[in-house]
Amino acid sequence: MEIIEKIKTNKSIVNQTEIQRFCIKKLQSSPLPNPKSELWRLTNKSKFSKFLDYSVNKKEPKFDTPYPKTSQNTIRLIIGENCQIKLIEKKYSIQQLSEDELFNHIKEQISFCDQNENWSDLLNLSLSCTKNILGLKINGSKIPPIEIFSHASINSLNAKTLVIFLEKNCDIDLLQVNLGKENSSLSQSTFFFLKENSSVNHGVVSYGEHKSNLLNSLNVIQQKNSEYNLGSLHFKFNYARFEIRIKQTSGNAKTNIKGMQITKKDEQISTYTKIDFNGPNGFLDQINKSLADDKSHAIFEGSIKVPKIAQKTDACQLSRNLLLSKFAQIDTKPQLEIIADDVKCKHGATISQLNEEELFYMRTRGITLPEASKLQLSSYFQEIISFIPVSKDRWDLLDKLLNDN
Amino acid sequence: MQSKMKESDPILEVENLSASTDNLPILKGVSITVYPGEIHAIMGRNGCGKSTLSKIIAGHPSYNITNGDIKFLGENINSLEPEERAQSGIFLGFQYPIEIPGVSNLEFLRVSTNARRKFLNKEELDTFDFEELVKEKLELVKMDNAFLSRSVNQGFSGGEKKRNEILQMALLEPKIAILDETDSGLDIDALRIVASGIKKIANTQTGIILITHYQRLLDEIKPNYVHVMSDGKIIKTGGSDLALELEKKGYEWTDNYIKQS
Repeated sequence: MEIIEKIKTNKSIVNQTEIQRFCIKKLQSSPLPNPKSELWRLTNKSKFSKFLDYSVNKKEPKFDTPYPKTSQNTIRLIIGENCQIKLIEKKYSIQQLSEDELFNHIKEQISFCDQNENWSDLLNLSLSCTKNILGLKINGSKIPPIEIFSHASINSLNAKTLVIFLEKNCDIDLLQVNLGKENSSLSQSTFFFLKENSSVNHGVVSYGEHKSNLLNSLNVIQQKNSEYNLGSLHFKFNYARFEIRIKQTSGNAKTNIKGMQITKKDEQISTYTKIDFNGPNGFLDQINKSLADDKSHAIFEGSIKVPKIAQKTDACQLSRNLLLSKFAQIDTKPQLEIIADDVKCKHGATISQLNEEELFYMRTRGITLPEASKLQLSSYFQEIISFIPVSKDRWDLLDKLLNDN
Repeated sequence: MQSKMKESDPILEVENLSASTDNLPILKGVSITVYPGEIHAIMGRNGCGKSTLSKIIAGHPSYNITNGDIKFLGENINSLEPEERAQSGIFLGFQYPIEIPGVSNLEFLRVSTNARRKFLNKEELDTFDFEELVKEKLELVKMDNAFLSRSVNQGFSGGEKKRNEILQMALLEPKIAILDETDSGLDIDALRIVASGIKKIANTQTGIILITHYQRLLDEIKPNYVHVMSDGKIIKTGGSDLALELEKKGYEWTDNYIKQS
C-alpha cells in the first residue's frame, strides 16, 4: 500500500496544499481505519487493500463522458478538467469558490473529524490536489440542472472532491456521476452546505467496470427550513463504499433519501449513513435497498441520532433487501439512538427473494420466467430511479440495471 | 403446439391425475374431458382439490404429478412450463389475483398479449396499437381506462380484480379458460358484468371450466356438465341439475354419497 507509506512518511506527496497538509497530519499516526470498529468490521480486507494498491495518477487522460450533452439547458462539469465556471444570469449565479473559501469550509468540516469515522474524507483530502477539487457557490432559482462527473483512470487511484455551497432560498437539481474504469480506484468526497430555505434534489449514480473500486463519501450540512433529497444508485464495483453523513444543524429541516446498491459476482458494496438531528422538528424519510446476486455481499448500516434538543423529530429509516442467490450475503442494521422524549421514529429491515406467487401469476399469462423476473426487478428499481433527478429522460438507468442483472 | 385437431376432438383431457405437494397427496385420480364449446362446472367443499387441479393444469411449480396425464389439444403437457401452457392457450383466472406493485397494468397486459400473439404467429402490438385493442376489450368488463395506468391489481377492489382477470382472458383469447371462484367476493351487479364478459368471450371453439361454490354464477352461465369433487376425486358428474341438487342438499350429501358408493 504505497499510498499509506507516503502518508506515513509524508515524503512523496509533493506541492502539498494547506488542506492536504492538514489531513495528512491527522492520518499520520494512524493511517488506516480500525478494522475491528463497527464501521469497518464487515469490509472485505483484501478488496479494501486492492483499493489502495494503485498509485495516484497525476496525469489523467481526457475523459469522454458516456452520454452526449443533449440539452443546452444542462450544465455539465467534469472534476479535474473544466473546473473554471462563472455564470451570472438574471435569476441565478454559479461561481467557483476561491481557494480561501474552500479551505475555510473544508477545514471547518474536518477539524473535528474522527480518524476512523471520517477516514475516507481524510484520505481523499490528503490525495486531492487543487485541480481535482471543484467548489461551487450557487445562488438563485430556476437554475438549469447540473451534471457533475468524477472518474478514475485505468490502473490508478484518483481522488476528486466536490464542494457545493447553496445560498439562501436557492434550489437546484444536481446529478453526480462517479465512473470507475477497469482496474481503478476512485475516491470521491462531496461536501454540501445548504443555507436556510434552500433545496436540492441530488442524484448520485456510481457505476464501474471490471475490477473498479470506489470510496464515496457525502457530507451534508442543513440549516433550518432547508430540504435535501437524495436518490443514489451504486453498481458494478468490485468494492464500493458509500458513506452519507447528514447534519440538520438546528432542526426544522427535511431530508429524504432513497438509495440502492446492486451487487453481483463476488462484489462488495456497502452504504453507511449517519443522520444527526441537532434541533427540533427535523424530518427524515429514508429507504435503502440492496440487491445481492451470485456470491456478492451488500451491506447497509444506518444510524439516526436524536438528542434531547431534537424534540418533535419525525424520522423513518427502512432497509429493503432482495437476495437473488443462496450464496449471496446481505448485512443490514438500521439503528436509532433517541434521547428526546417527544419524537416519532421508526426503523425496519426486510430481506426477501423474488415473490414466487407473483412470478407464477405472470407466467400463467405467457410471460417467461426471465421476463417475469425482469418485470419484478424493474418495479423494485423504479422507486429509487424515479427519485434521481436529471437522469429520468436520458440516462437509461433502468435498462442498464436490467441488462446487467 | 398448434392445433392439428378436428373440431370434435377434445381441447383438454385430464386422465386419472394424481398430484401432491410436499409429499402430501392432493389429487387422487381426477379425470375430466372438455370439448370445444363446452362449459364445465366443478363444485365441492373447501380443500377438496378444486383450486389445486386448476393450478396443476396451469403448471404451478409447487405441485408434482405423481400419476396420470394432462393433454391439451391432444398433446401431453405434463412437463411444459406455465408460460408455455399459457402461450398455447390455457388460461387460469385466479381466485385471488396477485398484486404486483410497480408493474403497470397496461405494460403487463401488453407483454402477456404479445407472448400469446407470438405463439399464434400474429404480429406483436406496439403500445399504440395495443391501447386500441385494450380499450375495445375494456368495454366487455365495463372497466375504466384509469385501471391501465395503475399497478397490476394493486389497490383494486375484489370486483375490480376479477374484472381484470376477465379482461386478460379477453385479450389472450385462450382455447380453454379455467376460472377459479371468479364469482367469490362479487356483488350482484359485478357478478353480472363478469358473467356477461365470460359469455361474450366463450364461443364454439373454446372450453370453460368454472370452479365455484355457488349456484348463482351457474344461473348466469349455464354449464353443460357439473362435477362434484371430494377428497381429491370427482365423485359425481351430471348436468346443470346436479348443481341445483347440491345447492338444495348441501355438501353433507356428498359425504353420504361416498359412504354409499
